[in-house]
Amino acid sequence: MDMSKYREMFLTETREHLNKMGRLVIALEKDPTDREGIDALFREAHSIKGMAASMGYEHTAELAHHLEDLMDGFRKGGSLPPPAVDRLLAGVDLLEGLLGDLEAKRPERKVAAFVSGGLKSEVEEESSLATPAPALLRVRVELTAEAAAPAARSLLVLKELGRHGELLTSTPSEGRLVRGEPASSLEAEVQTTQDPGQLRALLLAMTDVARVVVDEAVETAAAGQPRRDEGVRTVRVRTELLDRFINLTGELITSRYMLQSAARAEQWTQVRAGLGQLTRQIGDLHHHVLQVRMMPLESVTGRLPRLVRDLCRKTGKEIRFHLAGEEIELDRAILETLADPLVHMVRNAVDHGIEKRGEITVSARREKDMVLVEVADDGRGMDADLIRRKALKKGLLSPGQAKALLDREVLQLICLPGFSTATELTETSGRGVGMDVVKAAVESLGGTLEIRSAPGAGSRMVLKLPLSVAIIQILLVECDGRTLAFPITRVVRTLEIAQREIQSSGRQMVIRLGEEVVPLLSLRRILHLPSRPYAGSIPILVTEVRGRKVGLVVDRFAGQREAFVKTLVFPLDRIAGVTGATVLGDGRIVFIVDPQLLLDERSAPPVAARRGENP
Amino acid sequence: MGLRVLIVDDALFMRNMLKEIFTKAGFEIADEAANGVEAVEKYRDCQPDLVTMDIVMPLKSGIEALQEIVREHPRARVVMCSALGQETLVVEAIQAGARDFIVKPFKEHQVIEVARRVTGG
Repeated sequence: MDMSKYREMFLTETREHLNKMGRLVIALEKDPTDREGIDALFREAHSIKGMAASMGYEHTAELAHHLEDLMDGFRKGGSLPPPAVDRLLAGVDLLEGLLGDLEAKRPERKVAAFVSGGLKSEVEEESSLATPAPALLRVRVELTAEAAAPAARSLLVLKELGRHGELLTSTPSEGRLVRGEPASSLEAEVQTTQDPGQLRALLLAMTDVARVVVDEAVETAAAGQPRRDEGVRTVRVRTELLDRFINLTGELITSRYMLQSAARAEQWTQVRAGLGQLTRQIGDLHHHVLQVRMMPLESVTGRLPRLVRDLCRKTGKEIRFHLAGEEIELDRAILETLADPLVHMVRNAVDHGIEKRGEITVSARREKDMVLVEVADDGRGMDADLIRRKALKKGLLSPGQAKALLDREVLQLICLPGFSTATELTETSGRGVGMDVVKAAVESLGGTLEIRSAPGAGSRMVLKLPLSVAIIQILLVECDGRTLAFPITRVVRTLEIAQREIQSSGRQMVIRLGEEVVPLLSLRRILHLPSRPYAGSIPILVTEVRGRKVGLVVDRFAGQREAFVKTLVFPLDRIAGVTGATVLGDGRIVFIVDPQLLLDERSAPPVAARRGENP
Repeated sequence: MGLRVLIVDDALFMRNMLKEIFTKAGFEIADEAANGVEAVEKYRDCQPDLVTMDIVMPLKSGIEALQEIVREHPRARVVMCSALGQETLVVEAIQAGARDFIVKPFKEHQVIEVARRVTGG
C-alpha cells in the first residue's frame, strides 16, 4: 500500500496530538492527581504510537510507546510526580523533532538514549536531560575580499551549518551557489541546539570567513509556534459539509437551466426569480466555504501555556496564564498571520509587563463581524509620559505633537519600528521583532490594534480582526467621478449633514457627533483631486484612525456589497492607502482603501518615522 | 602519533611541498599518489585521517577519485587542492563530499588550518 499519501495527514494529526500533550502536561503540573488528565495524556501518546507504527516510523513509535508506558505507570500510581513533568515535556519536544525530520524527509533522529534514560536517572542528572531546545538562529557570514572561490566557500559554510542543525533558508540559496553565483556574503536561518557563540566561533575558524553575526530569532522551536506553514496546510472537512457542497452544486445547476430556459423564452419574471434563487445559493455556498476555512483559535494558542511556563522558568517569574474563547473560529489565513504576533505579545507581557508575579490572559470573543483577540496582563503597565518623552528625544515627535497627542495615541508609538520602552533588551523578548511587526500583521489582515495601558494598571493589546480575508463587505464611495471602496469594518458610520452643521475649530472643519467633536477631511483633497463647492447635504464617512474618529467628506455613497478581494502586485501594491482591489459587476476595477493607511501617508505625527521606510 | 595524510597530486613538486608543510606541522605522511586511480587504491590500503586531492590529474580526475572514495568510505575527509578559476569544479567536489578546499599557491598556515579544522584537531 502506498503510505505516502497518508504522510501529510499523519503529520497534521500528530501535531495536534502533541499540542494537546503539551497542554495536558502543563495542566497536570498544577494538578498532578487529575485522573482525567492522566488518562487523556495516556490516550494521546497511545494514538501517536498507533499512527506512527502504521506509517512505519519506528523511532517515533518507539518514543510514543515509551511515553505511553510512563503514563501507564502514573495511571496506576494515581498522580504525576513533579520530575515527570520535565521528562514528559522533553519527550514531547523530541517527538516534535522527529516530526520535523519526517516532514523534511530526513531519517528519524535517534531516541534510544532518551528512552533508556529512565525517570530516576533523569531526576539525578537533570542537567543532562535539559537538552537545550533548538533555537532559530539568523546567521550572516561575510567572506574576505580575497576569498578565491566565494561560491564554493559559501557552499561549505552552508554545509557546516547543516552539520550543526537544520538549515531552513539561505540567501543565496544552495542551488544558486551550485550554479556558481558569486556570493561574498551569506544569510541563513538555522534551527539548532548549538550555542550561538559556539556556532559563530566554528564559522570564524573557516578559511576566508571575515565576519560572522549570529542572532537568536524570536522563538524557539520547543516553546514557540509552529512554523507558519506547519499544520495549517491540510484541513479536515466533515463529510456532511461535503454533502452540502454537492447538494448546492446540484441546486446551482438547476438554477442555471432554469435561467437559460427563462432567458430563451424571454420570461423576465422567471429570470428575476432565478436570479433571486442564485443569490441565495451563492450566499449559502460562501457561508459553507468559509466554514471549511475556519479553524478554532486554539490551533495557534495551543502552545502558549507551554511558552509561558518555559519563560517563567527562565525568568523566575510566577505567572498564572489563562486562555478564554479558544473555540472561536477564524479564517486559516488570519490564524497563520496571527501566530507570531501572539507569541510576541505574550512574551512582551512576561518580559516587560509582569514584574515578579501576575496574571496573563489571552481571550477572544465575537463582536458582530469581527473577532476581538486580547492579550492582557496585570503588570506594571506603560507610562504614556515616558513614551512621549522618549519619542521626543528620538525625534519621532515635535514638541507640539507631543503635547497634542492623547495618551492612547502615544501608546501607539511603541509600534514604530525600533521603538521599545525597555531600557535593556532581555533574552526573552528577543530583538528585531517588536510591536511594529505585530501591528503590521494585524493591519495586513484589515484589522486594528488597540493598546490600553496605564502605569500600575497592566496592559491590554486588543486585536480587532475580520473573520475572513478573501471576501469582505465594502462600501462604495464616489469622488470626482471615481469609485473607491472602503472595508465596512473600517466604517464607523455614514451620515449626510447640512452645510450649517459644519463648524470650524481654528483652521480645522469639525462636526459634532453626540459628545464628540470630529474633524473633517476632504477625500478629494487627500487624493489631490479638484475641490468642488458643496450644496445640499454633504455625505460623510466616519472612520477611526488610531482610536480617534475622523470624518471623510465624499461626493456620494454608491452602495454596499460583498467583494472578493484581489491582492495587488508590484507596482500597484505601492500605492499609499490601497490594500487591494475588486471587480464590480460591470467589469470596473475598484481599489479598496484603508483609511488609516491613507491618512498615515498624509500626515499624522507617528508617521514621521514611517515615511523613511516607505518612500 | 600525528594524524596521517594521503597526498594526491600529479606534480612531484606539489607533493613534496605539501609533504614538507604537513611534516613540519606534526602530521604523518601516510602515502602519496600521482593520479586518481592510485588515490583510490592507496586510500583503501592506508585509510588515512586526511586526503589532499588535486583536481586535474591523468587517468582519473580528483573529483572522480573523491566520489569513489566517499562511496566506499562515507566518513573520508578529503580536502581539494584547486587552482584559481576552478570554482565550478570545487563546487562540484563539495557536493560530492569534499570537506574543504585549498587554493594554489598554498599558504602554509592556511593548509594547516584547514587540515586541523577538517580533522577536528
